[in-house]
Amino acid sequence: MGAERRSFKGRPVVPGSVSGVAAVSRGGFNTYASYSASLHEPSRRAVCADSGNEDLYGIDLAGKVLCIPGTIGSTSGGAVWQRLVAMGNAPAAVLFSGAIDPLAAGGLIVADEWSERRIVVVDGLGDPFLRSVAQGDEVTIAEDGEVVTGRPA
Amino acid sequence: MHLTRHEKAALAGADGPVVQKVMRTVIRQGEALGAERLVDLTGPGHLVIAYAIPGIGPSLEMLEELVAAGLRTTFPFTVDPRPPLDHEDWALDERQIVALEEMYRDQPRYEELLLQLGLRDADAYTCRPSLAEVGNVPHRGDALAWSESAAVVYANSVLGARTNRNGAIFDLLCNLVGKAPLSGLLLDEPRRATWRIDVRAAEPPLPQLLGIAIGRRVLSDVPLVTGLDRFLDPDLDPPTRDYLHELGAAAATAGAVGLFHVEGITPEAVEAGDRILAPDHRASVIDDEALEELSTSFPVLWSRPDARPEKCYLGCPHLSLEQVEWWAASIGTALRERGRDHVAVPTTISVAPQTLARLRDPGSVAGDLEAAGVMLSAGCPMQLFDRDLAAGSAIVTNSTKLRAYTNARFFTDRRIVHILATGEI
Repeated sequence: MGAERRSFKGRPVVPGSVSGVAAVSRGGFNTYASYSASLHEPSRRAVCADSGNEDLYGIDLAGKVLCIPGTIGSTSGGAVWQRLVAMGNAPAAVLFSGAIDPLAAGGLIVADEWSERRIVVVDGLGDPFLRSVAQGDEVTIAEDGEVVTGRPA
Repeated sequence: MHLTRHEKAALAGADGPVVQKVMRTVIRQGEALGAERLVDLTGPGHLVIAYAIPGIGPSLEMLEELVAAGLRTTFPFTVDPRPPLDHEDWALDERQIVALEEMYRDQPRYEELLLQLGLRDADAYTCRPSLAEVGNVPHRGDALAWSESAAVVYANSVLGARTNRNGAIFDLLCNLVGKAPLSGLLLDEPRRATWRIDVRAAEPPLPQLLGIAIGRRVLSDVPLVTGLDRFLDPDLDPPTRDYLHELGAAAATAGAVGLFHVEGITPEAVEAGDRILAPDHRASVIDDEALEELSTSFPVLWSRPDARPEKCYLGCPHLSLEQVEWWAASIGTALRERGRDHVAVPTTISVAPQTLARLRDPGSVAGDLEAAGVMLSAGCPMQLFDRDLAAGSAIVTNSTKLRAYTNARFFTDRRIVHILATGEI
């Protein structure tokens, strides 16, 4: 875990203030492959089922702060976010180091507009963010898109 | 964002609260993507939302809400394949049949709602909408809001239409208001190649593998692929179209590739020549050695890795008529050489409903395949793996896309033919 607290500024796409534990994917996040096993039954868990993701495979993503470069893969991934919110095992936030991709943006904005609860989304946090945030870090996100990672010294 | 008077009125609620919510969703997406305005769609949609399972498509409640508000797409749309509810074509056991029936108990109502929202007809279910017999073939320069990653990348790359990689549900909302954010692949500059990928291969590389290699390399960028023009037809004959379709499907699986160019072959690369490359593009080489390494690198996810193959699924995405004819001829030859009349592994080939009808024409190959024990379906194999329905089965496939989303094991086309003739890997 990162020992130092570090601060990054991104653009709030779905604004909100929330904190949680980081789940970090250095490569593109395949939304449908990651959640394909978590869509059928309401559950408090959402274990990453993407065997191609060496960072996250087997890790429970429910309630986490997903830290990713962008999303990849099937366009079915768009509907996944709304479903996760409905079942209660969505991530608390999704943080993008790059500019948000259309597949992720559409899915996360649909989830926000058509659900009661929101997944906070910030993009454009930059490559240094994704390089420094570590699996299990505490991440705090502010309404204005400021993201603080790491643990207090 | 600059909005027209009509868009502003819809956003303010002039057309009712549901249209307001749809319009707000589309506009928020435009803001997130930095669009200056929305663009009117010029052709029918192809959507990924074919399944009555929330999370893969919209919920029944959401569709009911859209229908009740009187919304209907500007153009009749096509959608992805139906779930594999034609049990007899998939050699399913009783447990799998019961589970599928339960999972898809809302499918009839779901399909009724899709028809009311503008689905073209009750057979408009395939992931190959641009096959001639299916007939959702975009024109060059069309502004579209498509989903289904394989269909999107084909429409952009091979047909020169313009669509972003839209997600499930958002695709439907755009087509209901007939608009999409003018951003990404709908614009000129983002269609230029930011990668040059030089393919060095003695023979045409397997597109299923080359696509994965390209997708991993470029992720969401646009590549210009060189070195393939000597293997492919610049007039885009059916084998070339099938090759490029498989290449795109794989690239969109391993990455987020929504558009690729092939030097001397795809329309925008032919027209622009070297100018298709952005000035600060990156470059990379993919050679035979890298592809060979890739083909043996996929993990074996079978519960018993040394199991004999139990089933084979071909057609993810759906195969064309010519591809099915290739399989029929190859399987037939391999069986004859070994003095067999049936495939050693139960096999299902998935095709569009319209392709299936053509295959059943007198003199076509459906009879030969079925006589050899090969089943044909217009369904989608992917859904057989949901809820671990096929977790215990040793399934082989020639699709790197199916492999990526399931525990099916990938083999090359030639290897699959061998497996079907012998039952052995």
